[in-house]
Amino acid sequence: MTVKWLMHWQPKPGTTLSTQILTEACQCVESIGGQKDGRWRSVLTFYKPMQRDALVPVEHARDFLGLALQEQPAKYYFILRPNRIVLEADASIQVIMEKLQSYKARVTLNFETSFFQSFGISRIPDVEKVHLFYKQGFQYKLGDFQVRVGKCVPSASEALRGIMMEVEYIPLSSIDKSRQVLEEFFDIWQETISKKSLPGHFMHIESNFTDYGLQDRYTSHHTAVQYATCMAQLIAAVRG
Amino acid sequence: MDIVKMECVVQGIIETQHVNALEILLHGLCGVPKEQVRVHELCLKSGPNLGVVPSEVRLLCDLAQPTPSWTVRHVGGAMRGSGADQISVLVRTVVESKVSNNVLRFFYGLGYKLDHEILKVGFAFTFHRGAQIIVTVTSAHKMPKLHAIEEALPISPNIHMVEITAPATAENYNEVVAAVSAFCEYLAPLLHLSKPGVSAGIVATAAAAAASLMSNSASKPL
Repeated sequence: MTVKWLMHWQPKPGTTLSTQILTEACQCVESIGGQKDGRWRSVLTFYKPMQRDALVPVEHARDFLGLALQEQPAKYYFILRPNRIVLEADASIQVIMEKLQSYKARVTLNFETSFFQSFGISRIPDVEKVHLFYKQGFQYKLGDFQVRVGKCVPSASEALRGIMMEVEYIPLSSIDKSRQVLEEFFDIWQETISKKSLPGHFMHIESNFTDYGLQDRYTSHHTAVQYATCMAQLIAAVRG
Repeated sequence: MDIVKMECVVQGIIETQHVNALEILLHGLCGVPKEQVRVHELCLKSGPNLGVVPSEVRLLCDLAQPTPSWTVRHVGGAMRGSGADQISVLVRTVVESKVSNNVLRFFYGLGYKLDHEILKVGFAFTFHRGAQIIVTVTSAHKMPKLHAIEEALPISPNIHMVEITAPATAENYNEVVAAVSAFCEYLAPLLHLSKPGVSAGIVATAAAAAASLMSNSASKPL
Protein backbone atom coordinates (compact mmCIF):
# COMPACT_ATOMS: atom_id res chain seq x y z
CA MET A 1 0.00 0.00 0.00
CA THR A 2 1.33 3.39 -0.92
CA VAL A 3 1.59 6.48 1.20
CA LYS A 4 -1.36 8.74 1.62
CA TRP A 5 -1.78 12.09 3.31
CA LEU A 6 -5.11 13.22 4.61
CA MET A 7 -5.88 16.90 4.76
CA HIS A 8 -8.85 18.82 5.97
CA TRP A 9 -10.14 22.27 5.23
CA GLN A 10 -9.59 24.64 8.12
CA PRO A 11 -12.02 27.54 7.73
CA LYS A 12 -10.94 30.99 8.80
CA PRO A 13 -12.42 31.84 12.21
CA GLY A 14 -15.88 33.28 11.81
CA THR A 15 -16.47 31.81 8.36
CA THR A 16 -18.62 28.85 7.51
CA LEU A 17 -18.13 25.94 5.20
CA SER A 18 -19.83 25.98 1.85
CA THR A 19 -19.97 23.67 -1.10
CA GLN A 20 -18.50 26.55 -3.08
CA ILE A 21 -15.13 25.81 -1.43
CA LEU A 22 -15.39 22.22 -2.55
CA THR A 23 -16.20 23.27 -6.09
CA GLU A 24 -13.25 25.65 -6.18
CA ALA A 25 -10.90 23.05 -4.72
CA CYS A 26 -11.95 20.61 -7.41
CA GLN A 27 -11.34 23.21 -10.08
CA CYS A 28 -7.85 23.70 -8.65
CA VAL A 29 -7.12 19.97 -8.96
CA GLU A 30 -8.23 20.13 -12.57
CA SER A 31 -6.10 23.22 -13.20
CA ILE A 32 -2.96 21.27 -12.28
CA GLY A 33 -3.90 18.40 -14.54
CA GLY A 34 -6.30 16.26 -12.52
CA GLN A 35 -8.79 14.16 -14.40
CA LYS A 36 -12.11 12.93 -13.13
CA ASP A 37 -11.86 9.26 -12.58
CA GLY A 38 -14.66 7.78 -10.49
CA ARG A 39 -16.42 7.88 -7.18
CA TRP A 40 -14.93 7.69 -3.71
CA ARG A 41 -16.51 7.04 -0.35
CA SER A 42 -15.35 6.31 3.18
CA VAL A 43 -17.78 5.88 6.05
CA LEU A 44 -16.87 6.87 9.58
CA THR A 45 -19.06 5.86 12.51
CA PHE A 46 -19.03 7.09 16.11
CA TYR A 47 -19.68 4.36 18.63
CA LYS A 48 -20.94 5.38 22.07
CA PRO A 49 -21.33 3.13 25.11
CA MET A 50 -24.74 1.99 26.26
CA GLN A 51 -24.82 2.24 30.03
CA ARG A 52 -27.23 0.44 32.27
CA ASP A 53 -27.04 3.18 34.87
CA ALA A 54 -26.12 6.64 33.63
CA LEU A 55 -25.17 7.79 37.16
CA VAL A 56 -22.51 5.15 37.78
CA PRO A 57 -19.05 6.31 36.69
CA VAL A 58 -17.74 4.61 33.57
CA GLU A 59 -14.66 2.40 33.39
CA HIS A 60 -14.75 2.18 29.64
CA ALA A 61 -14.17 4.18 26.48
CA ARG A 62 -16.41 7.22 26.07
CA ASP A 63 -16.46 6.64 22.36
CA PHE A 64 -14.50 5.13 19.53
CA LEU A 65 -14.53 5.30 15.76
CA GLY A 66 -15.33 2.74 13.11
CA LEU A 67 -14.13 3.21 9.56
CA ALA A 68 -15.01 1.55 6.25
CA LEU A 69 -12.62 2.34 3.44
CA GLN A 70 -13.53 2.00 -0.20
CA GLU A 71 -10.15 0.47 -1.09
CA GLN A 72 -10.60 -2.28 1.55
CA PRO A 73 -14.25 -3.30 1.23
CA ALA A 74 -13.85 -6.59 3.13
CA LYS A 75 -12.22 -4.88 6.12
CA TYR A 76 -13.31 -2.60 8.91
CA TYR A 77 -11.24 -0.46 11.25
CA PHE A 78 -11.80 0.61 14.83
CA ILE A 79 -9.81 3.46 16.29
CA LEU A 80 -9.62 3.91 20.05
CA ARG A 81 -7.74 7.18 20.33
CA PRO A 82 -7.17 7.43 24.11
CA ASN A 83 -5.55 3.98 24.07
CA ARG A 84 -3.77 4.53 20.75
CA ILE A 85 -5.22 1.39 19.23
CA VAL A 86 -6.23 0.79 15.64
CA LEU A 87 -7.83 -2.59 15.10
CA GLU A 88 -8.20 -4.18 11.69
CA ALA A 89 -11.04 -6.66 11.36
CA ASP A 90 -13.22 -8.38 8.81
CA ALA A 91 -16.32 -6.35 7.92
CA SER A 92 -18.38 -8.84 9.98
CA ILE A 93 -17.06 -7.22 13.19
CA GLN A 94 -19.82 -4.63 12.76
CA VAL A 95 -22.40 -7.39 13.23
CA ILE A 96 -20.58 -8.62 16.35
CA MET A 97 -20.63 -5.07 17.78
CA GLU A 98 -24.33 -4.85 17.11
CA LYS A 99 -24.97 -8.19 18.82
CA LEU A 100 -22.91 -7.32 21.90
CA GLN A 101 -25.18 -4.32 22.57
CA SER A 102 -22.48 -2.62 24.59
CA TYR A 103 -21.76 0.20 22.16
CA LYS A 104 -24.13 1.77 19.70
CA ALA A 105 -23.36 3.34 16.35
CA ARG A 106 -24.60 6.91 16.97
CA VAL A 107 -23.51 9.15 14.14
CA THR A 108 -22.35 8.06 10.74
CA LEU A 109 -20.43 10.42 8.53
CA ASN A 110 -19.84 9.82 4.86
CA PHE A 111 -16.75 11.16 3.17
CA GLU A 112 -17.61 11.15 -0.44
CA THR A 113 -17.35 12.72 -3.80
CA SER A 114 -18.71 11.92 -7.18
CA PHE A 115 -15.24 11.85 -8.64
CA PHE A 116 -11.71 10.92 -8.04
CA GLN A 117 -8.77 12.70 -9.54
CA SER A 118 -5.53 11.28 -10.72
CA PHE A 119 -2.63 12.71 -12.61
CA GLY A 120 1.00 12.21 -13.30
CA ILE A 121 3.59 14.27 -11.51
CA SER A 122 4.95 15.48 -14.87
CA ARG A 123 1.72 17.31 -15.55
CA ILE A 124 2.21 19.66 -12.65
CA PRO A 125 3.01 22.93 -14.39
CA ASP A 126 5.67 23.95 -11.88
CA VAL A 127 8.53 22.23 -13.68
CA GLU A 128 11.19 23.64 -11.35
CA LYS A 129 9.76 21.83 -8.40
CA VAL A 130 9.24 18.62 -10.30
CA HIS A 131 12.94 18.57 -11.06
CA LEU A 132 13.72 19.16 -7.43
CA PHE A 133 12.10 15.84 -6.64
CA TYR A 134 14.70 14.01 -8.68
CA LYS A 135 17.60 15.63 -6.92
CA GLN A 136 16.73 13.91 -3.67
CA GLY A 137 18.24 10.68 -4.89
CA PHE A 138 15.19 8.54 -4.30
CA GLN A 139 14.36 5.84 -6.74
CA TYR A 140 11.03 6.54 -8.30
CA LYS A 141 9.53 6.69 -11.69
CA LEU A 142 7.43 9.42 -13.20
CA GLY A 143 4.89 8.19 -10.79
CA ASP A 144 1.34 9.23 -10.21
CA PHE A 145 -0.39 11.06 -7.47
CA GLN A 146 -3.99 10.30 -6.75
CA VAL A 147 -5.98 13.09 -5.27
CA ARG A 148 -9.41 12.79 -3.80
CA VAL A 149 -11.36 15.83 -2.73
CA GLY A 150 -14.63 15.27 -0.97
CA LYS A 151 -17.17 16.43 1.50
CA CYS A 152 -17.98 15.05 4.90
CA VAL A 153 -21.73 14.76 5.48
CA PRO A 154 -23.78 12.92 8.11
CA SER A 155 -25.59 9.96 6.60
CA ALA A 156 -28.90 11.26 7.92
CA SER A 157 -28.69 14.70 6.35
CA GLU A 158 -26.95 16.70 3.67
CA ALA A 159 -25.39 19.22 6.09
CA LEU A 160 -21.78 19.87 5.17
CA ARG A 161 -19.50 19.08 8.13
CA GLY A 162 -16.13 19.25 6.50
CA ILE A 163 -14.03 19.09 3.36
CA MET A 164 -11.30 16.51 3.11
CA MET A 165 -8.54 15.64 0.74
CA GLU A 166 -6.60 12.44 0.29
CA VAL A 167 -3.32 12.64 -1.61
CA GLU A 168 -1.67 9.37 -2.45
CA TYR A 169 1.77 9.01 -3.89
CA ILE A 170 1.55 5.76 -5.83
CA PRO A 171 5.22 4.76 -6.24
CA LEU A 172 6.23 4.63 -2.58
CA SER A 173 5.11 2.80 0.53
CA SER A 174 7.70 4.24 2.91
CA ILE A 175 6.40 7.20 4.86
CA ASP A 176 9.86 8.64 5.41
CA LYS A 177 10.94 8.35 1.80
CA SER A 178 7.78 9.89 0.41
CA ARG A 179 7.66 12.77 2.89
CA GLN A 180 9.70 15.15 0.73
CA VAL A 181 7.61 14.49 -2.39
CA LEU A 182 4.35 14.93 -0.53
CA GLU A 183 5.58 18.11 1.15
CA GLU A 184 6.52 19.51 -2.26
CA PHE A 185 3.13 18.53 -3.60
CA PHE A 186 1.47 20.18 -0.63
CA ASP A 187 3.40 23.42 -1.31
CA ILE A 188 2.31 23.43 -4.94
CA TRP A 189 -1.22 22.72 -3.86
CA GLN A 190 -1.27 25.52 -1.28
CA GLU A 191 0.08 27.93 -3.87
CA THR A 192 -2.59 26.92 -6.37
CA ILE A 193 -5.46 27.13 -3.92
CA SER A 194 -4.28 30.44 -2.44
CA LYS A 195 -4.93 32.09 -5.82
CA LYS A 196 -8.63 31.49 -5.22
CA SER A 197 -8.64 33.63 -2.04
CA LEU A 198 -10.91 31.23 -0.20
CA PRO A 199 -11.71 31.79 3.50
CA GLY A 200 -9.41 29.15 4.97
CA HIS A 201 -6.79 26.65 3.97
CA PHE A 202 -6.06 22.92 3.76
CA MET A 203 -4.13 21.47 6.68
CA HIS A 204 -2.17 18.30 7.05
CA ILE A 205 -1.77 17.22 10.67
CA GLU A 206 0.98 14.67 11.14
CA SER A 207 -0.38 11.65 12.95
CA ASN A 208 1.93 10.01 15.42
CA PHE A 209 1.91 6.54 13.92
CA THR A 210 4.53 5.12 16.28
CA ASP A 211 2.17 5.75 19.22
CA TYR A 212 -0.12 3.23 17.55
CA GLY A 213 2.72 0.77 17.07
CA LEU A 214 2.73 1.33 13.30
CA GLN A 215 5.85 1.10 11.18
CA ASP A 216 7.21 3.20 8.32
CA ARG A 217 5.62 0.94 5.72
CA TYR A 218 2.24 2.44 4.95
CA THR A 219 -0.91 0.35 5.56
CA SER A 220 -4.65 0.92 5.87
CA HIS A 221 -4.05 1.13 9.65
CA HIS A 222 -2.22 4.38 8.94
CA THR A 223 -5.17 5.68 6.92
CA ALA A 224 -7.50 4.85 9.82
CA VAL A 225 -5.30 6.78 12.27
CA GLN A 226 -5.27 9.76 9.91
CA TYR A 227 -9.05 9.71 9.67
CA ALA A 228 -9.26 9.79 13.46
CA THR A 229 -6.83 12.73 13.59
CA CYS A 230 -8.78 14.61 10.92
CA MET A 231 -12.04 13.89 12.69
CA ALA A 232 -10.73 15.38 15.91
CA GLN A 233 -9.75 18.50 13.95
CA LEU A 234 -13.16 18.76 12.29
CA ILE A 235 -14.89 18.47 15.65
CA ALA A 236 -12.58 21.08 17.18
CA ALA A 237 -13.28 23.41 14.24
CA VAL A 238 -17.05 23.06 14.69
CA ARG A 239 -16.77 23.73 18.44
CA GLY A 240 -14.11 26.38 17.87
CA MET B 1 -24.43 -8.71 3.79
CA ASP B 2 -24.68 -12.43 4.44
CA ILE B 3 -22.20 -12.67 7.28
CA VAL B 4 -24.45 -13.98 10.03
CA LYS B 5 -23.96 -17.69 9.79
CA MET B 6 -25.54 -20.57 11.60
CA GLU B 7 -23.78 -23.48 13.09
CA CYS B 8 -25.00 -26.96 13.94
CA VAL B 9 -23.18 -28.40 16.92
CA VAL B 10 -22.99 -31.49 19.11
CA GLN B 11 -20.49 -32.36 21.80
CA GLY B 12 -19.32 -35.36 23.72
CA ILE B 13 -16.48 -36.65 25.84
CA ILE B 14 -14.15 -39.62 25.46
CA GLU B 15 -11.57 -41.13 27.74
CA THR B 16 -8.07 -40.13 26.69
CA GLN B 17 -7.05 -43.80 26.39
CA HIS B 18 -9.55 -44.19 23.51
CA VAL B 19 -8.52 -41.09 21.57
CA ASN B 20 -6.19 -43.07 19.30
CA ALA B 21 -9.02 -45.41 18.40
CA LEU B 22 -11.28 -42.42 17.66
CA GLU B 23 -8.60 -40.95 15.44
CA ILE B 24 -8.33 -44.20 13.49
CA LEU B 25 -12.09 -44.34 13.08
CA LEU B 26 -12.32 -40.70 11.98
CA HIS B 27 -9.47 -41.08 9.55
CA GLY B 28 -11.16 -44.11 8.04
CA LEU B 29 -14.49 -42.33 7.75
CA CYS B 30 -13.21 -39.03 6.37
CA GLY B 31 -10.21 -40.06 4.33
CA VAL B 32 -8.48 -36.74 4.93
CA PRO B 33 -5.37 -35.98 6.96
CA LYS B 34 -5.89 -34.59 10.43
CA GLU B 35 -5.04 -30.99 11.25
CA GLN B 36 -3.29 -29.96 14.44
CA VAL B 37 -5.35 -27.86 16.82
CA ARG B 38 -3.75 -25.49 19.28
CA VAL B 39 -6.07 -22.64 20.16
CA HIS B 40 -5.77 -20.14 22.97
CA GLU B 41 -9.31 -19.14 23.82
CA LEU B 42 -10.06 -16.05 25.90
CA CYS B 43 -13.56 -15.45 27.12
CA LEU B 44 -14.33 -11.80 27.84
CA LYS B 45 -17.33 -10.38 29.61
CA SER B 46 -18.62 -6.82 29.64
CA GLY B 47 -17.65 -4.79 32.68
CA PRO B 48 -20.22 -3.56 35.19
CA ASN B 49 -22.64 -1.03 33.80
CA LEU B 50 -21.55 -1.56 30.19
CA GLY B 51 -24.21 -2.52 27.70
CA VAL B 52 -27.97 -2.90 27.75
CA VAL B 53 -27.42 -6.49 28.86
CA PRO B 54 -24.22 -8.25 29.98
CA SER B 55 -22.38 -9.57 26.96
CA GLU B 56 -19.73 -12.11 26.23
CA VAL B 57 -17.26 -12.46 23.40
CA ARG B 58 -14.52 -14.98 22.64
CA LEU B 59 -11.09 -14.24 21.25
CA LEU B 60 -9.40 -17.20 19.61
CA CYS B 61 -5.72 -17.23 18.87
CA ASP B 62 -4.76 -19.98 16.45
CA LEU B 63 -1.32 -21.16 17.56
CA ALA B 64 -1.11 -24.08 15.13
CA GLN B 65 0.06 -21.77 12.35
CA PRO B 66 3.62 -20.38 12.16
CA THR B 67 2.14 -16.89 12.61
CA PRO B 68 -0.61 -16.83 15.24
CA SER B 69 -3.86 -15.39 13.93
CA TRP B 70 -6.74 -13.93 15.93
CA THR B 71 -10.47 -14.29 15.49
CA VAL B 72 -13.34 -12.69 17.40
CA ARG B 73 -16.23 -15.09 17.79
CA HIS B 74 -19.72 -14.27 18.96
CA VAL B 75 -22.06 -17.14 19.63
CA GLY B 76 -25.71 -16.18 19.53
CA GLY B 77 -28.67 -17.82 21.15
CA ALA B 78 -29.70 -21.32 20.20
CA MET B 79 -32.69 -21.82 17.97
CA ARG B 80 -35.79 -22.39 20.08
CA GLY B 81 -39.24 -23.83 19.62
CA SER B 82 -40.73 -27.30 19.46
CA GLY B 83 -38.93 -28.09 16.21
CA ALA B 84 -35.58 -27.31 17.81
CA ASP B 85 -36.43 -29.45 20.85
CA GLN B 86 -37.05 -32.49 18.71
CA ILE B 87 -33.72 -32.52 16.98
CA SER B 88 -30.61 -33.79 18.73
CA VAL B 89 -28.35 -31.12 17.27
CA LEU B 90 -28.07 -27.54 18.52
CA VAL B 91 -28.50 -24.85 15.87
CA ARG B 92 -27.20 -21.40 16.75
CA THR B 93 -26.00 -18.21 15.09
CA VAL B 94 -22.31 -17.53 14.99
CA VAL B 95 -20.46 -14.46 13.76
CA GLU B 96 -16.72 -14.53 13.33
CA SER B 97 -14.27 -11.86 12.30
CA LYS B 98 -10.55 -12.17 11.72
CA VAL B 99 -8.77 -9.38 13.56
CA SER B 100 -5.33 -7.91 14.12
CA ASN B 101 -3.29 -9.13 17.08
CA ASN B 102 -4.07 -6.13 19.31
CA VAL B 103 -7.67 -7.29 19.75
CA LEU B 104 -7.31 -8.09 23.46
CA ARG B 105 -6.07 -4.57 24.25
CA PHE B 106 -8.91 -3.22 22.15
CA PHE B 107 -11.60 -5.06 24.12
CA TYR B 108 -9.95 -4.14 27.41
CA GLY B 109 -10.12 -0.52 26.22
CA LEU B 110 -13.84 -0.94 25.56
CA GLY B 111 -14.35 -2.12 29.14
CA TYR B 112 -14.42 -5.89 28.70
CA LYS B 113 -12.78 -8.10 31.34
CA LEU B 114 -11.12 -11.47 31.05
CA ASP B 115 -13.45 -14.07 32.49
CA HIS B 116 -11.34 -17.14 31.79
CA GLU B 117 -8.86 -18.50 29.30
CA ILE B 118 -8.06 -22.01 28.14
CA LEU B 119 -5.75 -23.67 25.71
CA LYS B 120 -7.28 -26.36 23.52
CA VAL B 121 -4.81 -28.89 22.17
CA GLY B 122 -5.67 -31.74 19.86
CA PHE B 123 -6.61 -32.42 16.27
CA ALA B 124 -9.44 -31.90 13.81
CA PHE B 125 -10.82 -33.39 10.63
CA THR B 126 -12.63 -31.23 8.08
CA PHE B 127 -14.51 -33.03 5.34
CA HIS B 128 -17.71 -33.24 3.32
CA ARG B 129 -20.37 -35.77 4.08
CA GLY B 130 -23.77 -34.39 3.12
CA ALA B 131 -22.47 -31.05 4.41
CA GLN B 132 -19.17 -29.61 5.51
CA ILE B 133 -18.41 -31.20 8.88
CA ILE B 134 -15.61 -30.41 11.31
CA VAL B 135 -14.75 -32.87 14.07
CA THR B 136 -12.49 -31.45 16.75
CA VAL B 137 -10.92 -33.61 19.46
CA THR B 138 -9.17 -31.59 22.12
CA SER B 139 -7.92 -31.60 25.64
CA ALA B 140 -8.54 -28.40 27.58
CA HIS B 141 -5.56 -26.91 29.39
CA LYS B 142 -5.50 -24.26 32.07
CA MET B 143 -2.77 -21.70 32.62
CA PRO B 144 -1.07 -21.46 36.03
CA LYS B 145 -0.40 -17.77 35.34
CA LEU B 146 -2.12 -15.23 33.09
CA HIS B 147 -1.53 -16.07 29.39
CA ALA B 148 1.23 -18.58 30.30
CA ILE B 149 0.36 -20.96 27.46
CA GLU B 150 3.76 -22.65 27.57
CA GLU B 151 3.07 -23.81 31.12
CA ALA B 152 -0.49 -24.94 30.48
CA LEU B 153 -1.63 -28.18 32.12
CA PRO B 154 -4.57 -30.42 31.22
CA ILE B 155 -7.67 -29.66 33.28
CA SER B 156 -8.84 -33.28 33.19
CA PRO B 157 -6.04 -35.45 31.75
CA ASN B 158 -8.26 -38.51 31.39
CA ILE B 159 -10.92 -36.84 29.29
CA HIS B 160 -10.92 -35.38 25.78
CA MET B 161 -13.67 -33.25 24.40
CA VAL B 162 -15.17 -34.04 21.01
CA GLU B 163 -17.11 -31.40 19.12
CA ILE B 164 -18.79 -31.71 15.76
CA THR B 165 -19.73 -28.49 14.04
CA ALA B 166 -21.15 -27.80 10.62
CA PRO B 167 -21.72 -24.38 9.09
CA ALA B 168 -25.28 -23.79 7.93
CA THR B 169 -27.68 -21.09 6.80
CA ALA B 170 -31.29 -20.31 7.62
CA GLU B 171 -32.23 -22.07 4.37
CA ASN B 172 -30.30 -25.31 4.66
CA TYR B 173 -29.90 -26.08 8.36
CA ASN B 174 -32.40 -28.96 8.22
CA GLU B 175 -30.21 -30.85 5.76
CA VAL B 176 -27.10 -30.00 7.75
CA VAL B 177 -28.67 -31.26 10.97
CA ALA B 178 -29.53 -34.51 9.19
CA ALA B 179 -25.97 -34.85 7.91
CA VAL B 180 -24.51 -34.26 11.39
CA SER B 181 -26.94 -36.71 13.03
CA ALA B 182 -26.11 -39.35 10.45
CA PHE B 183 -22.40 -38.90 11.03
CA CYS B 184 -22.81 -39.12 14.82
CA GLU B 185 -24.16 -42.65 14.44
CA TYR B 186 -20.85 -43.85 13.05
CA LEU B 187 -19.17 -42.70 16.23
CA ALA B 188 -21.82 -44.12 18.58
CA PRO B 189 -19.78 -47.17 19.67
CA LEU B 190 -17.09 -44.83 20.98
CA LEU B 191 -18.97 -41.81 22.21
CA HIS B 192 -22.32 -40.18 22.79
CA LEU B 193 -22.82 -36.83 21.16
CA SER B 194 -25.49 -34.42 22.32
CA LYS B 195 -26.33 -30.73 22.42
CA PRO B 196 -23.81 -28.64 24.35
CA GLY B 197 -24.66 -28.55 28.03
CA VAL B 198 -26.56 -31.84 27.87
CA SER B 199 -23.68 -34.18 28.60
CA ALA B 200 -24.39 -37.85 28.00
CA GLY B 201 -21.16 -39.06 29.64
CA ILE B 202 -18.88 -41.76 28.37
CA VAL B 203 -20.05 -44.85 26.50
CA ALA B 204 -20.01 -48.28 28.10
CA THR B 205 -19.02 -49.99 24.85
CA ALA B 206 -16.10 -47.62 24.24
CA ALA B 207 -13.40 -49.97 25.57
CA ALA B 208 -14.53 -52.89 23.43
CA ALA B 209 -15.03 -50.71 20.35
CA ALA B 210 -11.63 -49.11 20.83
CA ALA B 211 -9.91 -52.47 21.26
CA SER B 212 -11.53 -53.72 18.06
CA LEU B 213 -10.47 -50.59 16.13
CA MET B 214 -6.93 -50.80 17.42
CA SER B 215 -6.55 -54.46 16.52
CA ASN B 216 -7.99 -53.87 13.05
CA SER B 217 -5.65 -50.99 12.43
CA ALA B 218 -2.69 -53.02 13.63
CA SER B 219 -3.32 -55.62 10.96
CA LYS B 220 -4.21 -53.05 8.28
CA PRO B 221 -1.87 -50.10 8.48
CA LEU B 222 -3.54 -46.85 7.42
